[in-house]
Amino acid sequence: MAKRLHEVRDAVHVFVSFDDDERRVIDSPAFQRLRHIHQLALTYEVYPGASHKRFEHSLGVMHLAGRVYDVITRADKISDPVRETIPVPNQSDYGYWRTVVRMAALCHDMGHLPFSHAAEDELLPAGVNHERITWDIVHGEAMKEIFEDITPSPKPEHVGKLAVGPRKAERMGLNVSFSDWEAILAEVIVGDAFGVDRMDYLLRDSIHAGVQYGRFDHERLINTLRVIPEPRREEKETDEATTPPVLGCERGGLHSAEQLLLARYFMFSQVYQHPTRLAYNEHLKDFLKAWLPDGLFPSDVDGHLSRDDADVLAAIKSAAADPDQPGHAPAQRIVTRNHFKKAYEKKADPEDHDDLRGDRSGDVRTLAEAASEHFGADKVAYGAPPTNKPPDDFAVREGASRGSVWAKGLSEVMRKLPQSPDEFVLADSEIRDEVSRWLEQHRARLLTEARNQQIQQAEEEVA
Amino acid sequence: MNRLVQEAVLVGLARRLAERGSWAGETHLQKSAYLLSELRGVDFDFDFILYKHGPFSFELRDELASMRAEGLMESHAPSPRYGPRLQVTARGKEVEESFSKTMRRFGGSLDWITTTLGDRGVMDLERLATAMWMTRQSPSSSVRARAEALVQVKPHISMEDAEEAVEEIDQLLAESKAATA
Repeated sequence: MAKRLHEVRDAVHVFVSFDDDERRVIDSPAFQRLRHIHQLALTYEVYPGASHKRFEHSLGVMHLAGRVYDVITRADKISDPVRETIPVPNQSDYGYWRTVVRMAALCHDMGHLPFSHAAEDELLPAGVNHERITWDIVHGEAMKEIFEDITPSPKPEHVGKLAVGPRKAERMGLNVSFSDWEAILAEVIVGDAFGVDRMDYLLRDSIHAGVQYGRFDHERLINTLRVIPEPRREEKETDEATTPPVLGCERGGLHSAEQLLLARYFMFSQVYQHPTRLAYNEHLKDFLKAWLPDGLFPSDVDGHLSRDDADVLAAIKSAAADPDQPGHAPAQRIVTRNHFKKAYEKKADPEDHDDLRGDRSGDVRTLAEAASEHFGADKVAYGAPPTNKPPDDFAVREGASRGSVWAKGLSEVMRKLPQSPDEFVLADSEIRDEVSRWLEQHRARLLTEARNQQIQQAEEEVA
Repeated sequence: MNRLVQEAVLVGLARRLAERGSWAGETHLQKSAYLLSELRGVDFDFDFILYKHGPFSFELRDELASMRAEGLMESHAPSPRYGPRLQVTARGKEVEESFSKTMRRFGGSLDWITTTLGDRGVMDLERLATAMWMTRQSPSSSVRARAEALVQVKPHISMEDAEEAVEEIDQLLAESKAATA
């Protein structure tokens, strides 16, 4: 029997369609829980519209993953060197992988803690992260039952691998390997360059935050995505047939890809690394550590699914009103908007790394710790987003006869893309100016001492 | 391994590779670091997975990106047709020099690995590192069995080349064992 197609309206993609099988996953408790997980934690305290949830984001990621899959498997768009890697319509595994990629996109955020990324590392047992919980949910009985009923039936291992991707699989110590095709499909979902997770969150966060910088021509970009041979890594490598196929774009899509990178830069600068947002993250983390049993969220599937943002918000409201409850002080800061403010911002000086004009990795944390010791741990905090790494290079196809090249070699935008300040010392608003002055006054001494001490300690460990 | 020590060792590795004629791109560093840890027990704080070009670490990729951001290395792309070379900067050299104990401890291993691999291309390094991976997975398997496992994950590598790579790994393991005994 033909599967029925369902549609929902969507703020980014206008309509998102899904079939009966996908609807079973969408209706599952693990997915419905995402209706109550804010995509951007407490960012709505800074950008009031940014109160959207992981639920609609995950639907958007599924929608885009299906679109990219259809583009890269179009028989007339596949070049000879990679033809053997890619299933095309009417081949037996074509439908299987389309199901897997859309299911993986749907499931990729199921393991998120309440309020998404905020301080995940400190709120879960050692060695557990949200991808680990996603992996466990996908391999759990409830999802297994749904997957087994689906035709073609997606293997949990395939769904899990594409949902977490190789980077997190490595970090989780999963000991799984990725075939070239699996690596490409994982790249479609969670890849740094063209991952649809990133595409959807930039577009969606931009709309909801009311920050136009996050927009880019994703339609054009998707239409130019191709599976192409990886460009050569050195002069000695001469044969394109021996380089693995990778997800890249046609030369005509390079400007859209650059636009995505600029959108990312602006969204990080304006929204994700906004110091007030980071201050709220710190207050939320302090509250959760005080409120949760042993300061940790449950990491088993049932325990995880029983918690969402609604529980946490109710607890914050209650703790803010009662000085005897654990987490009262940070809860009150959240509820009364008495949040920390920026006292110091990482000094970026790409031209000079040799003296103290620029801050190196670890310097801002050193300064925050020193200020915290001087002014009190309840008055000063270190603020940084969980991840902000520079964009990876990617492959661009210049045409069948000219082969693949590296984007950074073609793109001045990529080579010169700046890094926005992403580390701060945050302080109570009443002493913020004093903390700023103190840090400027003592910075050189504190950093010199800390750097010398770090080298000495490191060398002692080696000896 | 302490992160600062790790950076100093990676700077030392990149510098020596370049001096011994390597293209010294990211793949060269990835495979050399992997083989350095497996053959000489240099205890990097990276996990490796079997990926597109054999053993690969995303954590190492992030560390190299961070070292570029900190001015310890620079990336030079002679042409968009080839991947960039990673060159150690003056500040990178200073870091290497300031970690004198670290360099005394690891310098011999760095010299050995870069003398062994410095003139090898990425295809060779991919074969060798994957052969090492297969050897770690099944240390008691025959050369043939490990070569077959290698070809299964890297079908573009011929059986003959795979066997040669596994034999070379066995030889390097023996050399390494003798050197550290």
